[in-house]
Amino acid sequence: MPETQNVYEIPIGPIHPALKEPVRFTFQVEGERIRAVDVRAGFAHRGIEFMGMRRNLIQTLYLSERICGICSISHPIAITLAVERAAGIEVPPRAQYLRVIFSELERIHSHLLWAGVAAHELGFDTLLHLTWKVREQVLDILEELSGNRIDYAIPIYGGVRRDISPEQIPKVEAMIRYYRGLLEELVDAFLRDPSVAARTRDVGVLTPEEADLLCAVGPTARASGLSKDVRQDRPYLVYGELGVKAITPRDWGLEPRGDVYDKAVVRLLEVGQSLDLIETCLYEMPEGEITSFPKIPALLAHLKKAEGEGLGWHEAPRGEVIHYIRLEAGVEEPVAWKVKAPTYSNLMSWVPMFADQEIADIPIIAASIDPCICCMDRVHMVRDGSPATLLKEDLLRLSREKTERLTGHPSPVTRHGGGL
Amino acid sequence: MILKTLFSQLLTKPATNRFPAKYMPKSVLGFLSRVKEGKATIVPPVPVPPRFRGKIAYSREKCIGCQLCIRVCPAKVIEFLPEAKKIRMHVARCTFCAQCVDACPVDALAESGGFLLSDTDRSSAALTVQ
Amino acid sequence: MTGLHLLWQAAAVLVGGGLLGLVYKGFDRKLAARMQARIGPPLRQPFLDVGKLLVKESVVPRDAVGWLFKAMPFLAVVASFTVLLYLPWGPFPAVLGRYGDAILVLYLLAVPALAMALGGFASGSPLATVGAQREIVMLMSYEFPLAVAVVGVAWRLATLGGSPAFSLAAIAASPLWGQVGPLGVIGLAILAACLLIVTPAELSKIPFDIPEAETEIAGGLMVEYSGTYLALFYLADAAKTIAMAALVVTLFVPYGIAGLLGLSGAGAQAVDLAFHLLKIFVVMFAAVTTVRVAMARLKIDQVARGFWLQITAVAVAGLVLLVLDRMVAG
Repeated sequence: MPETQNVYEIPIGPIHPALKEPVRFTFQVEGERIRAVDVRAGFAHRGIEFMGMRRNLIQTLYLSERICGICSISHPIAITLAVERAAGIEVPPRAQYLRVIFSELERIHSHLLWAGVAAHELGFDTLLHLTWKVREQVLDILEELSGNRIDYAIPIYGGVRRDISPEQIPKVEAMIRYYRGLLEELVDAFLRDPSVAARTRDVGVLTPEEADLLCAVGPTARASGLSKDVRQDRPYLVYGELGVKAITPRDWGLEPRGDVYDKAVVRLLEVGQSLDLIETCLYEMPEGEITSFPKIPALLAHLKKAEGEGLGWHEAPRGEVIHYIRLEAGVEEPVAWKVKAPTYSNLMSWVPMFADQEIADIPIIAASIDPCICCMDRVHMVRDGSPATLLKEDLLRLSREKTERLTGHPSPVTRHGGGL
Repeated sequence: MILKTLFSQLLTKPATNRFPAKYMPKSVLGFLSRVKEGKATIVPPVPVPPRFRGKIAYSREKCIGCQLCIRVCPAKVIEFLPEAKKIRMHVARCTFCAQCVDACPVDALAESGGFLLSDTDRSSAALTVQ
Repeated sequence: MTGLHLLWQAAAVLVGGGLLGLVYKGFDRKLAARMQARIGPPLRQPFLDVGKLLVKESVVPRDAVGWLFKAMPFLAVVASFTVLLYLPWGPFPAVLGRYGDAILVLYLLAVPALAMALGGFASGSPLATVGAQREIVMLMSYEFPLAVAVVGVAWRLATLGGSPAFSLAAIAASPLWGQVGPLGVIGLAILAACLLIVTPAELSKIPFDIPEAETEIAGGLMVEYSGTYLALFYLADAAKTIAMAALVVTLFVPYGIAGLLGLSGAGAQAVDLAFHLLKIFVVMFAAVTTVRVAMARLKIDQVARGFWLQITAVAVAGLVLLVLDRMVAG
């Protein structure tokens, strides 16, 4: 890129009021226009996979929960699904419904949190305080049901650890009514406010082709019009029976443009979808056991004997999270554990989104993919410092090569003969 | 529109809960000592629901020293005392997941709601359960 | 004797104006917080803030242009406090009213913004440079509607025989609302609305706080200022708030109520002064506090375009209505 005299280099991060988590942007700007951006992550890397492979599976479960505070149940759900597939553990139906209820509660809290953060990035602190005040209701319900506002410690291999008692159900229903009544007001405040629209319409556009090429997931991809939702594409738990459909801006009557406004539309509509899902689950949940291994020593023994590998996936509020686990008989620790967080897939979407935007748009574009850097952070191996573009085929090939290196035999995908 | 919300909020009580005091006192330790003398009051915290994840309670008599809790604890909170065959928990490290409570075969451990656990010494008596 | 008298009055206005600025800032923060369902800081918080800043270390960055960096806060505070000496305070005429008029006030109001921009450029930080660039663009954007509003009122008064033209005392003494026809009333209302829109831009408050955007450029042109220098900018902002609100009140609603209440003498003066301060508070509440909690921050190109095209067009329309009113009145 030719360096003219007017091009400044502005560093944003790793510590900056716009960023909730450390990531380093280096923008080449001309006046207020962004000409190029370089993203460098790695500041929140904690070596969690390394730690997880030195602890037994139950300890690793709680470690996985603390990969992220906002998507705090997504990682335990993915790892429990992975281990249950690897060790051949069945999950009773009531536990599956309970896992879905907690996941959807988390989705509501996460999207409301995002709405507040996005408002703050726009300088609209009133909406930040409003959405976070409103979010207190779902956090109170989570505290009532699980004992904690964040990091609920609910999934365990074979089921869940706590049940919803009949006394608690009216409280959950009251929360659903409260949010249903408020949703219109929130949509009004966010999507019909002229100053918000002025700041988010046609800002940070991600075309569907770019979203597809860069493997974007979650609301980032759905806002561009892609109908991509793990709950719909590869149903797990009871999502298949619930018939979840991916939400795109078309569900609100808009033609998807892939800008920040569309991402807000998708997330707010998903709050409504989650409320419906929770209500359905509460009614349809069958009676029964909440875990197939009520005794911990039995669970530990079964896990120690288990041999095999498993893949667990979940639609976290930010997109698809995948955990891979490989167990060996007689060894308590997982032999291999890999986490692919949704932000890892969405990270590269930043580059086309920032092209030709203004400095003033930096915070809202950065926040629009709902980055959870702590989920995503990994160590980078830089080959020779030269920039390169990796497309979907390259990433797939590299991931499969790594899988083969980890597992010692051809990757499960090629073995089962199909694309994702 | 937003103006309606703004003005209605102007006229209602703020949503903030005022624990422990409405405004930051000039000196926190001074404030706490005044509370001890009865010259100031702490606004009570919002009550926690039952089964809130707080400090773990331990019944020493029931404990059989099987060390199952130690095996499942993700944060290495529990220390085994071999001579007495009992345990000691260091609350400063605890994540309150209560997996130890689930694991214990004789129900020697239980969840309690205690969450006001600040201290200046991480090995103080308040932060050690034995 | 008059020299000493002038000095006392000036001291009273400067000190009183400064204290009033900080008190009103406290109210602004408290009311904004309550509108957001928060408790907010205690009313004395701005005093605590200034006191804290004065005892903190004032860091001058290595890459900064030292003398310019250190001088600009002083220039800003001097200019904004000086404006207070040229504004009438209810029943009391402006301390230096004989030496300066509305045009001088307009110029003086631009100086603190320029000082902040120069300070930003002198800070040696890319974020401050961006903030300073934005401040200059904002200054160029809102000056025109501001000037049109002031000139419109002053000109119309001059045509009605009020003199000297542009003298704030004359403008305050004979409010135009009763002296113009219906066209003029609409024109004046339009100019008043434009001035109210310019007020948050002048004071760098949301939606126009772009030069200091917290989430975008981490404080913008203020990013490198700390300690005493930041305290001075803070005081300058407080004084400028009072000055701008007082200007709006003097131009458009300079009425006193002592006459209505049938008071006279010192009682009348006190009541009129209190009423004047109340009006300043209402202007600040409407144009600054409510607006800054009800909107998102706009972008600099949106603001520049908005002021140069739409707001200027509206202001000129108001001026044209005043001209038509003059022609109709004969």
